Amino acid sequence: MDMRLTRRMALTAAATTLPRFAIAQADQRPAITVAVQKLANSNVLEPLREQSNVGTRVSGSFSESLIDIDWIGDLALRPSLAESWRRIDHSTVEFTLRQGARFHDGRPVTAEDVVFSFGPERMWGSGDQSRNMFGAAPGRSQGKAPPPEVPAIARRAYPGFEKFEIVDPRTVRWVNKTPDVTLEGRLARSIGVIMSQAAFDAAPSWLDWARKPVGTGPYRVTEFRPDQSLTLVAFDDHWGGRPPLRQIRFVEVPEVASRINMLLSGEADFACDIPPDQITTVQRSARHEVVGGAVMNHRISVFDKNQPALRSPLLRRAMSHAVDRQSIVDALWDRRTQVPKGLQFEFYGTMFLRDWEVPKYDLAEARRLVRESGYRGEPIPYRLLNNYYTAQVPTAQILVEGWRQVGINVAIEMRENFPQVLSNQGQRGIWDWSNSATFNDPVSSLPNNHGPQGQQWQVGAWRNDEFGRLSEVLDSSVDHDERRRAFQRMMVIAEREDPAYIVLHQTTNLTAKRKDIAWKPAQSFFMDFTAANWGRRG
Amino acid sequence: MLRFIAGRLLRAALTIVMVVTFAFVVLRLSGDPALLILSVDAPPEAVAAFREAWGLDRPLWVQYFSYFGAILQGDLGQSMRDGRDAIDLVAERIPATLALTLPALALKVGIGIPAGVYAALHRNSATDRVVMVMAVAGFAVPSFVLGLLLVLVFAVQLGWLPSGGQDSWRHAILPVITLGIGGAAVLARFTRSAMLEVLGQPYIRTASAKGVSWRAVVRGHALPNAAIPTVTIVGFMVGSLIAGAVVVESVFSWPGVGRLLVVAVSNRDLAVVQCVLLLVAATMVTSNFIVDLLYGVLDPRLRTARGGGKG
Repeated sequence: MDMRLTRRMALTAAATTLPRFAIAQADQRPAITVAVQKLANSNVLEPLREQSNVGTRVSGSFSESLIDIDWIGDLALRPSLAESWRRIDHSTVEFTLRQGARFHDGRPVTAEDVVFSFGPERMWGSGDQSRNMFGAAPGRSQGKAPPPEVPAIARRAYPGFEKFEIVDPRTVRWVNKTPDVTLEGRLARSIGVIMSQAAFDAAPSWLDWARKPVGTGPYRVTEFRPDQSLTLVAFDDHWGGRPPLRQIRFVEVPEVASRINMLLSGEADFACDIPPDQITTVQRSARHEVVGGAVMNHRISVFDKNQPALRSPLLRRAMSHAVDRQSIVDALWDRRTQVPKGLQFEFYGTMFLRDWEVPKYDLAEARRLVRESGYRGEPIPYRLLNNYYTAQVPTAQILVEGWRQVGINVAIEMRENFPQVLSNQGQRGIWDWSNSATFNDPVSSLPNNHGPQGQQWQVGAWRNDEFGRLSEVLDSSVDHDERRRAFQRMMVIAEREDPAYIVLHQTTNLTAKRKDIAWKPAQSFFMDFTAANWGRRG
Repeated sequence: MLRFIAGRLLRAALTIVMVVTFAFVVLRLSGDPALLILSVDAPPEAVAAFREAWGLDRPLWVQYFSYFGAILQGDLGQSMRDGRDAIDLVAERIPATLALTLPALALKVGIGIPAGVYAALHRNSATDRVVMVMAVAGFAVPSFVLGLLLVLVFAVQLGWLPSGGQDSWRHAILPVITLGIGGAAVLARFTRSAMLEVLGQPYIRTASAKGVSWRAVVRGHALPNAAIPTVTIVGFMVGSLIAGAVVVESVFSWPGVGRLLVVAVSNRDLAVVQCVLLLVAATMVTSNFIVDLLYGVLDPRLRTARGGGKG
């Protein structure tokens, strides 16, 4: 073949290259790097499998639900892939799909994609999950079925799901088996995102698809290197308009000092998961700042009421009164968080108990309760992880000191991981936890974590039959007042009469960033890089 | 010789069996992978489904024998995080680790041995003291402190080099230096001691008395005899090529075997941890084996002793 470059070939090459070059030149949008501690726990991006705060940070950029929560604003539900929705009855919600919404593969979002996203292929599994670590592995490259925990997670999130019905090409209906007033909130969860069925069908395996899911978000996944980096690029056909950034690269940097160094050296524009004791280090640089505030998550300490000393609810109440929550917020959190009104969140709206307070810091009352409880100074084990939660160890030290002041002898026992904390070998007394509200109703948190299906109940640490019955009411009743009464009574039981936990403070998520970027942290772990939350200062 | 090799191979196999067993027991008794991988907030039914799917609900001894049986058939298992073959996960990280550890080994040998020899040949001089102070300092400073210090100076303050990641060859400079300095210091110390011991031997004095030039004495008699302890240390360094950069890979966010191991251990991702350990054990055993053979090359007396052993 003659490989000489002719004038015609040169002109043709120039003609095909120049427009692309011109487009590239025209794209003046910035590309940013975000240093994170962890990209994903499960090495996939499918929110149904990646049930973690770190997964939440990125999933909203490449995938969207029918209904969204305004995490930057007032936490209200707002239209996303559904332009509007209406209640048909207590078990049915009808959605009108957004005109012009497209997937990253260019296909329009259809009613069939909605049905697929809540169908057996993605969510419920096919039932042939009889594989194990000694045979074919779940989610192994040749299989198309989701790993077995995915259907279990879906069943927990949507316990009454019956089907999604197609009414017409732009209208779909969620049909629940049981009445549920929280359906809209449940659908706003990140696991309820709408994914492209065609992309799922085209993927060679579930794992391949779950590592590069095709959604509708303002950015699309171009490269995911587990434990290393995730690259998202602007999806200019997004229904909300052109995204403000050309590219976002999330880089996994496990060490906090290394993340801060990346930021200070200019290699990263954001450094996430910053502990409060590093705020000064970052802010010594004139070009950087630490931003962040409370997210929809509360730090709590949990009781095992089978521990002999903790059988007395009076002693547990005493422990709650001996916690100086405000000192923890002031001393350890630089006042960047707050003491909440119990295990509830303001975005519960009319279900929020505005008059509720956590037990007040009152050492005299705590001492009185200790005396009444008949406690004789037996050591109570406190299983502690080494800062799994930010500032966990210093917080525990403040707690133990407060308890010591009222005569309660709590002994810290360091553990390496949560299974060791929850193990029923030996005595289990107190341990740390955090509880989130995944949507705007108390059913998303209190019964979910402490009711009969919750972890504390399931590991045999705490149960209260009345609380269990009320969990059912909160879950199934459609009478607002009845639900509110049930919730109020549950709070009385879990935080006063038969304490299940002690609420410490609302969780704060701190992010270090360049000062010249106008960007607000969300009230969740999600990092919002849409046009509404991006700009330049000065 | 064959008997010697066979004995060594048998010991190597036993070592590997013990490593596999120990790691299995420790990992399985110290944390439930289901809760660690799915997170503590995962619904209990999801955790149960995960346990059942991966056979974690079976008695421990059943899991052990099934796992061991699979290894004997060449199946090292799959990662519980994403179902991929553990061997693939480990294999794709090896080049990244070797990209750090091989240049670092060259740095250790290239700086440590000459520095040790030079210090020994100039014993009690100012140069000797400077070399030894630097060696002690290099040995005493932990690699994570040294790494962060280098990043602060060369990445944050001067902006000459990147602070972490693996995007180009420039990203490897600081981690290689961090890895290399500690090892060079160790080698310098050992080489100096070995040389000093040899230089005090009667045969060195004899050779000098016979009129052999000092350079020839050092090259022909001192260096080969001093090489045995040095080769032992270098052997250990070669053995740790695969997993010897755990801390440095974490500090510099370098996606090698070390970081994979840290993540796998924290998730109790048994198959991946075992795969790395097997690889490390195999590398270490092979390296030791080669060192043993080198002893024979360096010291003819050892060859004779082994030959005599045959009977």
